[in-house]
Amino acid sequence: MAKLYVKAVAPPDMNRNTEWFMYPGVWTTYILIIFFGWLAVLSVSGCSPGMAWTVVNLSHFLVTYHSFHWMKGTPFGEDQGIYNALTWWEQMDNGQQLTSNRKFLTVVPIVLYLIASHTTDYRHPWLLLNTLALMVLVVAKFPNMHKVRIFGINADK
Amino acid sequence: MDTNLVEMFRAGLNWVTMALDAPSARVVLFGVRIQWHIFVEVLLGFVIVILLSQKSYKPPKRPLTEQEIDELCDEWVPEPLIPPITEDMMHEPPVLESAAGPHTTVNGKDVVNFASANYLGLIGHEKLLESCTSALEKYGVGSCGPRGFYGTIDVHLDCETRISKFLSTPDTILYSYGLSTMFSTIPCFCKKGDIIVADEGVHWGIQNGLQLSRSTIVYFKHNDMDSLRSTLEKIMTKNKRSKNLRRYIVAEAVYQNSGQIAPLDEIVKLKEKYKFRVILDESNSFGVLGRSGRGLAEHHGVPIEKIDVVTAAMGHALATEGGFCTGNARIIDYQRLSSSGYVFSASLPPYLASAAITAIDVIDQNPDLLVKMKQNIALLWKGLKDIKGMSLASDPESPIVFLELEKSSGSTKEDLLLLEKMADRALKEDSLLVVSSKKSFLDKCRLPVGIKLLVSAGHSESDLIKVSESLKRLASELLL
Repeated sequence: MAKLYVKAVAPPDMNRNTEWFMYPGVWTTYILIIFFGWLAVLSVSGCSPGMAWTVVNLSHFLVTYHSFHWMKGTPFGEDQGIYNALTWWEQMDNGQQLTSNRKFLTVVPIVLYLIASHTTDYRHPWLLLNTLALMVLVVAKFPNMHKVRIFGINADK
Repeated sequence: MDTNLVEMFRAGLNWVTMALDAPSARVVLFGVRIQWHIFVEVLLGFVIVILLSQKSYKPPKRPLTEQEIDELCDEWVPEPLIPPITEDMMHEPPVLESAAGPHTTVNGKDVVNFASANYLGLIGHEKLLESCTSALEKYGVGSCGPRGFYGTIDVHLDCETRISKFLSTPDTILYSYGLSTMFSTIPCFCKKGDIIVADEGVHWGIQNGLQLSRSTIVYFKHNDMDSLRSTLEKIMTKNKRSKNLRRYIVAEAVYQNSGQIAPLDEIVKLKEKYKFRVILDESNSFGVLGRSGRGLAEHHGVPIEKIDVVTAAMGHALATEGGFCTGNARIIDYQRLSSSGYVFSASLPPYLASAAITAIDVIDQNPDLLVKMKQNIALLWKGLKDIKGMSLASDPESPIVFLELEKSSGSTKEDLLLLEKMADRALKEDSLLVVSSKKSFLDKCRLPVGIKLLVSAGHSESDLIKVSESLKRLASELLL
């Protein structure tokens, strides 16, 4: 009597471009990459820890903005171009908004901003740069910005 | 310049810092200095909490409203299935109604034919017809199979031996379609990563072969040995890796697009100096050039072993169809397994192979055919020497007499229209079949267009005089 009902599983992600983010351990790896990046910047340049966090924050902004919100389509030819107009962020989770992956990826820049601004003692101009980076990233990740191209920037021809 | 930019950047940064550190940004409340960052941090904390508490949803697919559908339908313009027809596409070439000999029938009228590559007049020769009929009675029409799968008949082997004996080369391989000879041979030997130096005026079959080979192609100026020398020099000195790559020179003996003859002795000298291999297409020179018709090598006195690969189509002087490739025994043997045109097409119909054997026998036994053809070329040159508005652009010994416009209008299409008009009038008024150069969309050759006259040993003196008079008259009427 106990096994009458079938357990439904979430459908697998068919998009090979984004399905790697479904694996367990991706979040931990992401956080560890950022942390070790901070350590590397600190050891190589010998600047203050706050400066290193600012550098990590800004480079994280550049890398994630380019790869999540600017590059469109997939590197795989077998999907025949159905994702050619969608950025990686819009392809994630099949277009479903506010899944746990998306929430995690939205929280990470906010936490990075808080750490970076705290450790630089809220000095300018680093505060301004960090704030700008945060604004751009968070606004890009809003569910209302799904498939929106402001002023036609990065739109298809 | 550099320091200016750095200075400006520093100044901008300073300005921003000062603006944001303005005294008004500090507020004293309750005697405690409030720091704005607390507010921002609390705000962000709230944002995180709200974010984490939202439920995930899929954005709804909004179906198109009626108005949007109507708008889309209105502004849709269908793409045409075919490109718009231009005037040069409307030209219909004349249709022959009898065999393509020196005289043929077009539209029920008997015309003098200068459009067939029947250089020795072998079309309609009784010996060839006899051998074709007996081969047809013995073997039937087709060979029903590729050479490797029961399609080899004894006439194929006989034909290959006969051609080798005629040209005194070790071995020959036969192809079933003249045009595909070149574009199967080139990709058989030239692969991706090799370097090919080709003449810019090669015909479309060779261009196709070059493209299929996926090698690096470098073109040199048409029949210009200085350009060839500088190209080879550049390739060998600029690229250090060139010494480890395979290098080829591709040329035609008599160029179909311009009637020039390639200076084989200089090409061989350059090839030996820079260590390249030569692939030569002798379609229009086999049976034509040289004292006994053995092709360009005999014409220039170069031993044929110096040319690595010689190909030819048999549809020109030999008046049959198909093609062959001669050379070193290992080169030919390699093609029997690796050449796509040989392995994957049905073999040559046996009656064509026996016709080729008979044609070579006829050439061997009748050297006066070559003499007659050379005389005809000389006569035509004499007749066309002072034609107004056009100039003779081919070699005086080549069977393709090429008349170029002296003043080109700059656009190939315009020139072709003018030349086609001239050819049409020659057909209608003087019963002469002449052709202008054929330019397909795929042809990358940029040589100037003109009228091509293909001289045959079967043309009589009156035919040649007639064509020179007619062309001179039409040129003075249409081109001035």
